[in-house]
Amino acid sequence: MASRIVVHNVDAGYGAVRVLHRLSIEVREGETVALLGTNGNGKSTLIKCIMGIVRPEAGEVLLESDGARIDLTKRSTEEIVGLGIAMVPEGRRLFPKLTVEENLLLGAYRPGARGDITRNLAFCFEAFPVLRARRTQLAGSMSGGEQQMLAVARALMSSPRVLLVDEPSVGLAPILVSRVIAKIKELKDRHHLTVLMAEQNFNQATKIADRAYIIVHGKIEFEGQSMQELRGNELVKKYYMGL
Amino acid sequence: MFSWDLLANAVVAGVLLGGFYAAVSLGVSLTFGLLDVVNIAHPAFVILGSYAAYAMNSSFGLDPILTGMLLTPLFYVLGAAVYQVYYASFERRGEESLRGLVFFFGLLFIIEVSLSLTYGVDYRLVEAPYIGKSIELGGVGVAVRLLVPFAVGLAMTLALHLFLSRTFYGRAIKAVSQDRLALRLMGANPVRIKTIAFGIGIAAASLSGALLVTIAPVVPSTDRDYIGRVFAIAVLGGLGSIGGTLVAAIILGVAESLMATFFGPSWSLAVSFGILLLALAVRPTGLFGR
Repeated sequence: MASRIVVHNVDAGYGAVRVLHRLSIEVREGETVALLGTNGNGKSTLIKCIMGIVRPEAGEVLLESDGARIDLTKRSTEEIVGLGIAMVPEGRRLFPKLTVEENLLLGAYRPGARGDITRNLAFCFEAFPVLRARRTQLAGSMSGGEQQMLAVARALMSSPRVLLVDEPSVGLAPILVSRVIAKIKELKDRHHLTVLMAEQNFNQATKIADRAYIIVHGKIEFEGQSMQELRGNELVKKYYMGL
Repeated sequence: MFSWDLLANAVVAGVLLGGFYAAVSLGVSLTFGLLDVVNIAHPAFVILGSYAAYAMNSSFGLDPILTGMLLTPLFYVLGAAVYQVYYASFERRGEESLRGLVFFFGLLFIIEVSLSLTYGVDYRLVEAPYIGKSIELGGVGVAVRLLVPFAVGLAMTLALHLFLSRTFYGRAIKAVSQDRLALRLMGANPVRIKTIAFGIGIAAASLSGALLVTIAPVVPSTDRDYIGRVFAIAVLGGLGSIGGTLVAAIILGVAESLMATFFGPSWSLAVSFGILLLALAVRPTGLFGR
């Protein structure tokens, strides 16, 4: 079940505003790739392109899976989820007036995941014990960190092959950021997930990433094949380390 | 004028009436409470269901409530079609708040006028073995024509509650108005989910119409008596809460019954608006609102 995501020469934006300019990235099977960049550089737009929420004006977005090449620009968001790509959206976007458990069960909506419900639910409760304790509580009444954990767990309920995480650290206290990031790594190792994570918190993201892209004004400005290479890069020093 | 016998009779009749009111209001709790679609034509679909049951009963002697159940798939399809029109014409363009309301208001009159043209404005009633009988329960007389709709109303409430809490479609229906994009990220198409829910709401309306014609004769304009009631019940119950709908319906049923017994039947229609005002003033989220 080898699956990788290929984004090739994509132009995308909102109306007259172009956000991504001939942007190309690749996320290979089993990798954790970080997409680094400060606010407004196009990280979220790129993730939305992969999910079919924003349609590219030019270029290709492909899921290569078991030898097949699937053109994601022709698929609806629902179909893309059905292919085993899950997204943890920025701002979490839980269903605030549903309980924790109802949120999790909705995560298993896609037919391919319904058979795994018992196993996935047990795993989520084991990975995030706080969710088991609060399973009957309304999602909107939990703290930000708990909500972020629920958002990650809900995405995992769909038994994804590829997990896209958009800004998991926004609005969280530093200690919670570490915990959420560490959990994503743990889950990735156990589920053999392929992960693409957009993040502006350089230090946290590089803790778990195998590789990283730095995106500036909608273009990939640097591609680091290892974390050492990344830390020595001038752009990183300029944008993230204040050097 | 007051007697304990009268009170007991009024309360029992009110509870039974409440079970029926729950059946009439379930569709509104679903479409208005969970989908944010102000389907003001709901009572017209109720009356359409009454006339369908009447037509089958008078032509073929079929049991009205059984007819109501058999016709639910047909009304489901009708409801799904109505939602598709509403979605394509208003909701997709973001014009649902005012023009959508006018659309449903128009639909209400079209249904009402069509029924008047077809069946006239005479009262229509049905025949069934349980109409006209009554049983004695501890000194309180209970009309069987109220008991059967009460039981069917309870069964409908339970069925809808189980559907919403135990199935994937049901949970998606509860989520759809909270965050459409998030629902798409779960792999569900919001328009499809709303179409299914609206179809179920209209199917429930038609079945409750069959209950209505069992309880009392109907004319095409009977729907107007129910606009206030169904929205009062949906709001008092806490929008979208199915259990709350049943409790609110029974409260309204008992209140109306007491009012009719001790102050005269002409006051009973005012009760629903009184309850609606009270609910909005004191507890706008309703009894069981989240």
